[in-house]
Amino acid sequence: MFNPQLIRRAVPTILLTFLALPAAAQSFRVQCPTQTKLHPLVNGLPNPHIKCQQISGGDGFATMGDGTQTYMFSFGPLSGLADIVNGQPGTETAAVFNQNNLDPSGNVLDAVKIGAPDGASYAFNGAIGLVPDVEAQNGNIPAQPTTGPGSELSPAAWAQQHALLTGHVDPRLVMDVGVLNGNIPAPMIAIDEGDELFLTLTNVGMVMRPDLFEQHTVHFHGYPNASAFYDGVPDASVAINIGGSFTYYYLAPEAGTYMWHCHISPPEHLQMGMVGQLYVRPRQNSVATGASLYAQLNTDQSDVSKKCDRTDMLCSAQLPAAANSVARDATKHYAYDDGDGSTAFDVEYPIQMHGFDPNFHFVGMTFNPESFADNKDKFFLPNGRSYPDTINTAPLSTQATDGTPHFSQPLNTVINIPANGKALLRISDLNVTEFHTLASLGIKMHVIGLNARLLRDQDGNNMDYYTNSITLGGGETIDVILDATGIAAPQKFYLYTPQLDHLSNDAENFGGMMTEVNVCNAVDPTSKKCS
Amino acid sequence: MRNTNSFTRRLQAGAAMVLASLLGCAAQAAVPGITGGAATPSFDLVATQGYVSQPDGASIYVWGYGCNTQPSGSAPGAVPLPSTGCPKMQLPGPTLIVNQGDTVKVTLTNNLPRAAGNTSILFPGFHVTAVGGAPGILAQEATQAAAVTYTFLADTAGTHSYYSGTQGDLQVEMGLYGAIIVLPSTGGGVPTGYLAPGTGLPNTCFALGAKLATLDSNDYRLAAAAYNHPSACYEREYMFQFSEMDPAIHSQALQQSTLTCAQTTGCMSVATEPYHPAYFLINGRSFPDDADPNYSSLYPSQPYNGNPHMHPGELVLVRVIGQGRMQHPLHEHANHLRLLARDGNMLLTTPATQGALPKLAGPLLFTTTTTPGQTLDAIFQFTGKGLNWDVYAHTSNAAAAGSGSEGNGGAPCNPDKNGYYTTGSTPPAMGNEPNYYEWCLDHKLPLESKPFGSVGSGGPVTLPDPTIVANGPWYSGSPYLGPDANMRSVGPTPIPPFGTIANDPGSEAGFAYMWHSHNEREITTNNIFPGGMMMMMLVDPWVSPINEAN
Repeated sequence: MFNPQLIRRAVPTILLTFLALPAAAQSFRVQCPTQTKLHPLVNGLPNPHIKCQQISGGDGFATMGDGTQTYMFSFGPLSGLADIVNGQPGTETAAVFNQNNLDPSGNVLDAVKIGAPDGASYAFNGAIGLVPDVEAQNGNIPAQPTTGPGSELSPAAWAQQHALLTGHVDPRLVMDVGVLNGNIPAPMIAIDEGDELFLTLTNVGMVMRPDLFEQHTVHFHGYPNASAFYDGVPDASVAINIGGSFTYYYLAPEAGTYMWHCHISPPEHLQMGMVGQLYVRPRQNSVATGASLYAQLNTDQSDVSKKCDRTDMLCSAQLPAAANSVARDATKHYAYDDGDGSTAFDVEYPIQMHGFDPNFHFVGMTFNPESFADNKDKFFLPNGRSYPDTINTAPLSTQATDGTPHFSQPLNTVINIPANGKALLRISDLNVTEFHTLASLGIKMHVIGLNARLLRDQDGNNMDYYTNSITLGGGETIDVILDATGIAAPQKFYLYTPQLDHLSNDAENFGGMMTEVNVCNAVDPTSKKCS
Repeated sequence: MRNTNSFTRRLQAGAAMVLASLLGCAAQAAVPGITGGAATPSFDLVATQGYVSQPDGASIYVWGYGCNTQPSGSAPGAVPLPSTGCPKMQLPGPTLIVNQGDTVKVTLTNNLPRAAGNTSILFPGFHVTAVGGAPGILAQEATQAAAVTYTFLADTAGTHSYYSGTQGDLQVEMGLYGAIIVLPSTGGGVPTGYLAPGTGLPNTCFALGAKLATLDSNDYRLAAAAYNHPSACYEREYMFQFSEMDPAIHSQALQQSTLTCAQTTGCMSVATEPYHPAYFLINGRSFPDDADPNYSSLYPSQPYNGNPHMHPGELVLVRVIGQGRMQHPLHEHANHLRLLARDGNMLLTTPATQGALPKLAGPLLFTTTTTPGQTLDAIFQFTGKGLNWDVYAHTSNAAAAGSGSEGNGGAPCNPDKNGYYTTGSTPPAMGNEPNYYEWCLDHKLPLESKPFGSVGSGGPVTLPDPTIVANGPWYSGSPYLGPDANMRSVGPTPIPPFGTIANDPGSEAGFAYMWHSHNEREITTNNIFPGGMMMMMLVDPWVSPINEAN
């Protein structure tokens, strides 16, 4: 019945049909469309609600509070470099992200180089590596004129200027910037409710561990109704090999303080430093000044994608129990879609709590087998630094094994609050070994949100509370407001941990999980400096 | 080539359908336990020694509760005790299932090694009277080879724990703990006050045995609601008991277990500090053993698993107990949970209007920290709402999808008043649609920018070449939910990864999420990753029945 010869010949044919690949076989690549179905062009320009970010997955070094250099597996910035070194999120609009890395003559921009960003004057925020794909677009590039404007250019320069940015990257540029360029915390991601986020992870490899073929992923920790495909769990989706890129796509969920981290071998990659901050700002920030917050939230109830009542068990921003006339304050922002202004603040401070076990990091750098049961953190890191580095307002850099200093810890944790104003602390914990307590001396902590949800019951009553300290396990977030109303400026207070063994930097017995709170006359909401 | 392609595709699709009709997903989780008879249930327990197995190959000496004589029954009906019955020693102890208002009698016989001394049981949250035994500090104790009987009124519904009240630092560590589930007085019925269908809301609250006529209508619940409250309804339930073990303590106890001894406090000298746990357990098992079925013969002393499955839209009751001495931040991927109750006490509002129905006041959490001695009841739900792309890959191009396919552009998604396709929609879903509870605002929205396979194009992203990424064993092979969308999304390219067994692309193709301790060092088994306190939770498409029976 069967002809074995025929079957043998047919097998390669069948196998060949299996090998048909999708059109976009790729290695390094970024994705950042200027328009989507949801967000079309605005007056012919990229839609500002499309946000893009590129990050490297690799390794790097950080400086601990006692001056030691610690090896990390880490994410580094590959877009928004200037913003990140200034302590800002590296999330950019499509217009900023999509910048050619070549000048009009086809030369690589000075900003794209080993050790970038390299100083306070560094200003480039575009995607690293992004160049026109001249070869792929050869047929679509208009013919170069032989006389008049354009004729003076070399054919290569003409082609370069007229080819489009399609997400094609020059891998050399990515490697120049991305290798040994890890940050702790990883590049900050901040978006607005309703934004579309295109986050490209580019795995540049870990040059200190050539024996490892480590994949990396991004887990959007706490995202409601997460997609398994974009959840970053390698067991349940895909993981990104060295030399590859992957673009994660999410429509921003409900406002709140989330976080992100790698999900490859979490006890190892998280301890080694692949942890970052992520928050979503509420749509209430776009209510017109003077308009009623309650009225807007009430209007939202007729939109099924925004409504929240007890028929949905898993939403928290319900209408307040009683109608109110609180108006959008021109000078404030909000943590949640509260409808009553109860989450208003003047300036916000993301604080990520983490810990490093120096033994584990040493083992991680030196090709030794790891143990997990005996993990014991010795460095306690709000935003990747220990006190007194937490109050150093400059970005910290660490010389890596390539002999070049790399910005390793861009974020200080100085909390400046304007007199009679409010600071929002977006606190997250990604420690992998123990719980962390953070206490406030002098100013009460006003807890308004937990695990990226407004504290409000199903009758619409706020469940906010006052306390002097909060305790989080790994994988938890909390939103705390420090209210400086009635406190004369200038005055200094402290955030610190009453877990006294966490007030140390390894052998140094004072440092660790601690920082300063300043009440001053005015604070710039962007630079967060007292003025 | 073209013919070969379409032939291959048909072959794959055909095979998938055959498989789908044959296989349910072997989830086998639910919350099985033993019952003790009506109104005055009685349980005859024994504390004794034995061994449990761990995935690193270790066999660990433990003490556990078991059945001295066989119980009068077990629940739920679809997950009965195996023919071998309730063992003499198990970890955790037998889950005792009773009804609110029952007077519960628990007899404990002490068959621990003589060197362990007396033992006892605490029932936190209940007023206990004891008969027999000898007085201890926290409870009346069972002396060697003798029994004590505890009686209490199960007046508080919900999830409760029981554990040793004697030398807890050693006896609880050794494994003497278990759970009590008190079913609300509404029993299998729906609590009053539920917003019934007809008000434009989906039917998500069913009396036991009266489920919706969905493709998968199996019912494995113990009750229709966790509490006597309309917001405590659920359609599926799981329980996770968290504990840890320091193997040094267990080996010391083993060495001293044969000491001759006549003291009521025992004769052991086991150092329970400093404490270095190396095993981190959910229901007495470490990952991946927790994914094997309940009552699996592989684990004769660890009958309960941790392997949650659900369908989109189902309300899932999650019962969590901290049984060890440490806190564990349990992170649930995929969505928040609404905390219903702590230690069997509902967290409710105080309505402004007297007599009005109190509503839920528990927080929404994506990390539910377990605390020693504390129980949590929470409701979880996953729908895929708001991703801005159609998880079933429905497309407006019916021809591309194929007329027999679920992705056919004609497949409806009529929103109910919350935006989902349910029995509350107009016209209503019948309850047997493959896309029941779909979020209709995303219906037919494409994910992929370029045409590929038989799913829509014009979406926001380009997916990676499947050959340059690493594919996980729980990855169905596409971003989409269900075998139909999975098959259509790959065109002539076979679905990676080959050999996926935990989430078959052709018959299940669910969304897999990790539920795990976020003290990540605890997702290891004696220093081996992966292991420990980890589970893979699967959201299965409605076409894939979830089988939690034995």
